[in-house]
Amino acid sequence: MRKIVSKTLKNTLTASLVIFLISCGGGGNDSPPVSVAPTPIPPTPPVSSVLKLNSDQEVVSFLSKMTFGASRGDIEDAINRDASELLSEEFSKPPSYILPFVIDYTDDDVGVQHRSYSAAFWNAMVDGDDQLRQRMVFALSQITVISDLNMGDRPRMNAHYVDALYKHAFGNYKELLKEVTYTPAMANFLTYYRNRDNSDQNPLQTPDENYAREFLQLFTVGVTELNMDGTQKLINGSPVETYSNEDIVGLARVFTGLSCGGIDFWNCEDYDEIAPLVMYQNYHSKNEKKFLGKTIGAYVDGDTAIDQAIDHIFEHPNLAPFIATRLIQRFTASSPTPEYTERVATAFETGSYTSADNVQFGEGVRGDLKATLAAILLDEKFFNGEEKSNTDGKIREPVLKFINWARAFDVGNVFAENEWALLFHARSNEGLGQQPFQASSVFNFYRPGFIAPQTYSGNEGLTAPELQTTHEGSVMGYNDWMLEYVFNSSPARDEAIDSFAPDYSYEVTLAETPDQLSEHLDTLLLAGLMKNTTKERIVTILNEMPIRSDSEENATKDRWNRVAVAVYVAVTSTEFSLVL
Amino acid sequence: MSYINRRRFLKSSSALGFSAGTGLLAALGSSNAFSAEVNGYKALVCVFLKGGMDSMDFILPKDLPSHNALASVRPGMFEAYGVGNGNSSRDIDNILEINALNSNLGGRKFGFSSGVPELQNLFNTGQAAIVGNVGPLIEPTNRTSMNNFSVQLPTRLFSHNDQQSTWMSFGTEGTQSGWGGRLLEPILEADAVSDPVFSAISTAGNDVFLSSTNVRQFLAKGSPSSANILEQNWRLGTGYSSNTAMIALRDHINATGVTSDNLFGKDLIDINRRALRNIETYKSALNNSVGVNAQFPNSPLGNQLRTVANTISARNALNVRRQIFYVAIGGFDTHDNQHTDMPRLETQISTSISAFQNAMVEMGISDKVTLFTASDFGRTAVENGDGTDHGWGAHHLVVGGAVNGQKIYGEIPPYDRGDLAYTGDRGRLIPTTSVDQYAATLGGWFGLDQSELNDALPNLNNFSEKNLGFI
Repeated sequence: MRKIVSKTLKNTLTASLVIFLISCGGGGNDSPPVSVAPTPIPPTPPVSSVLKLNSDQEVVSFLSKMTFGASRGDIEDAINRDASELLSEEFSKPPSYILPFVIDYTDDDVGVQHRSYSAAFWNAMVDGDDQLRQRMVFALSQITVISDLNMGDRPRMNAHYVDALYKHAFGNYKELLKEVTYTPAMANFLTYYRNRDNSDQNPLQTPDENYAREFLQLFTVGVTELNMDGTQKLINGSPVETYSNEDIVGLARVFTGLSCGGIDFWNCEDYDEIAPLVMYQNYHSKNEKKFLGKTIGAYVDGDTAIDQAIDHIFEHPNLAPFIATRLIQRFTASSPTPEYTERVATAFETGSYTSADNVQFGEGVRGDLKATLAAILLDEKFFNGEEKSNTDGKIREPVLKFINWARAFDVGNVFAENEWALLFHARSNEGLGQQPFQASSVFNFYRPGFIAPQTYSGNEGLTAPELQTTHEGSVMGYNDWMLEYVFNSSPARDEAIDSFAPDYSYEVTLAETPDQLSEHLDTLLLAGLMKNTTKERIVTILNEMPIRSDSEENATKDRWNRVAVAVYVAVTSTEFSLVL
Repeated sequence: MSYINRRRFLKSSSALGFSAGTGLLAALGSSNAFSAEVNGYKALVCVFLKGGMDSMDFILPKDLPSHNALASVRPGMFEAYGVGNGNSSRDIDNILEINALNSNLGGRKFGFSSGVPELQNLFNTGQAAIVGNVGPLIEPTNRTSMNNFSVQLPTRLFSHNDQQSTWMSFGTEGTQSGWGGRLLEPILEADAVSDPVFSAISTAGNDVFLSSTNVRQFLAKGSPSSANILEQNWRLGTGYSSNTAMIALRDHINATGVTSDNLFGKDLIDINRRALRNIETYKSALNNSVGVNAQFPNSPLGNQLRTVANTISARNALNVRRQIFYVAIGGFDTHDNQHTDMPRLETQISTSISAFQNAMVEMGISDKVTLFTASDFGRTAVENGDGTDHGWGAHHLVVGGAVNGQKIYGEIPPYDRGDLAYTGDRGRLIPTTSVDQYAATLGGWFGLDQSELNDALPNLNNFSEKNLGFI
């Protein structure tokens, strides 16, 4: 249970949907965000389900993929249940939107005020009950990337973008793309805000190509033609490019004429940051728009042109394997096998997935993200007991590791707004090494196709995006970051508020039996994959830390200290960086 | 023999009484393989400007016809800059002229904006040169050969990640070796003394520029940590004085004895092992060096170049004779608001590079260290309203005491989009100097001979001019 110890910081995270609807409903030409209708609970599967989680370790293994990590309570709730049922439950949980928090948030420090949306997202990832949706939003934030590095002073606009991802996380990818296209945050980030085609007046002035290019390269089809299993199509041994620069020039004309709702193209109302963009026909290109074999007529109105363009791009055969690969990499495998990729791509393509225990997911429409997620998380390879290959597994990025620690020990006072480090230093290699929504560009923190030179995985041609940001500096930055958090010594803005305080009360009961403590941490944090060397080191070190008997106060302190050291070793072990 | 094995052999040989110099190399009987020149100290510093720097808005026209020509393809941007109001950084009278010694400019004059006096000074004092219209090419290319498909072109032009990769490694994203690393290969072959770990140093992550078969980059930070817990024994409470505990913790940070069958697991173990060992060596070398006094601006580029300068000051302690550094900053993808973003960026470049050059002068090794710029691509001559889009060729800077400065090398084509220098109406420059030629000129100074340069730079043989003469 999380206790609130301060009244100065209000935890308004429990989203007030009413406020949200009022705030977002005016001025836009699009429907206001609505909560996602709960998925009907599927029929009860057979008792002897193949997807049953039979042990604590199996639970932790599954939850390390579906959520940001398991607490002891989560394990108790999930043991002996079917993974498919847990997944259905996640799909039915309402989203915890963050815009209401940002709108209500006030702070005298304008820098902190600006980071309020980031604080809200940290809090939601750590503490939100809708854990799969949180994971999915973090994953989507690495595909349709925005970065606040140059728009950090617009917390409402950024929060509005995050909420668009929450809204569509379990919806359809096409609808997500359409909504994202109309968000002020994306339009500012990829510079098509007030993009116009003036070529009828000034033949020299042509539309900004930025969004058109990255929309094709990064959000939908990628640069070369793909097979359904994610491998490149080769013709005469060479890859085939999916589009030419002419396609970019043609598509750039589509994304013109968008500006804020308000007085006119150049003048906004003050709510412009959190309402969908509006099409101004006078500034929309009056040229014909040709791209990828599609021609949209010269005078088709702007909203229709965008709609038709996205519909057309969405039918590209690359889309399913392209998105499947990226999503798998964010959940379960740094280098997914072609077979696995094809299974997931097929679920995306058909919009439907039936699990091994016969539960059906998805609405049967191309781009269904529930079906896609079910295919990723319930894949047979995680449940059929077959031995792992040495190419399996996902390297966990720093954010996943940090939040796993926070959830495993049920940290209290989840107020990221009280944490200097979470507000300002997570991105740095002196810090955690990763801050959500702060990639250095639309190309994300790392590239999906990154193959690390001079490595075991690289020698086998395995992709390992996360290794692109793993090096001497980042390893030590992470170690030092975790040291402060594990020992509950991270610098707080208000020292009276003990934010992000770990609850080691159960672990303290094992402090005097280091071997049991290390076994417990192995299960809780590593699903049983902790190396014996690491366990032995925990025991060795703890045995060197005597428990004083002169007072209960000292003994309590010493037990807690033992636990902190053991946890530090566990979360900085190399095995904690890999989920299998 | 692999490089590592040869090193071991050399080291053990010197333990037997050889001096690891030319005598031993001759003893190995393969003088051709060791012909790179590795005496004294030399360093190259690559400053990568991510996003595609608009060099047409950086190297500015100072003569009226050229200034008018640029204004005519960028009316919106010039208006946004306030050109004509007398106070604009881009007003022709405010542009800081560079006095190029070239005889081939035909009356054209160039300069930097009024916001970058430091670079004007470096150029006019002969410490900097400009190389015009550089970019990735496979063979000499012009508009005609491009349009009739008679020439092979680099793939995925205009795409950020792929052109960053192509600039660094001659291939699109996923290419495994960059020319920084490739220039170091023959150097390390020839140099049995230096520590290869600190030959390739990045302050900006694992980009491909400094990778190659036997070269791996070390990531340097301004204030490197080698795991705070190893210096905070009080974290162990009652166990604070236990050597056993501290040794176990140290072994843990170093992943000593940890093994994995999983390939990613093996990689993670490797990285942890390298981290502790290399950072401790690096820290101690820095602590035993005087460092630099020169003031650096507190900017992303300034901070990285300060780290490079401090690392260079520790070159003896680090036991290196040839080093290549990679630093990078972002923000150059100026599709819009270029008039607000570019002045900020060019000031950062100017103040940081000038601070770095001052530091090298202060250390007395300015002629041993050469800094050069690189970027994804240049940008369209023709604006899109208040910004520019992805281009191809771009103008670059080379700075250092060894540079034959105060000159413009290569070409700065006119701003007429009808000119055959451009791919078409948007005004994307077709490079007239290839990255291979740019790299070969730097690599030749660095110590590589012609055959080594040909090995390192795959397209070099397609160009007749193999040394541009700027250094």
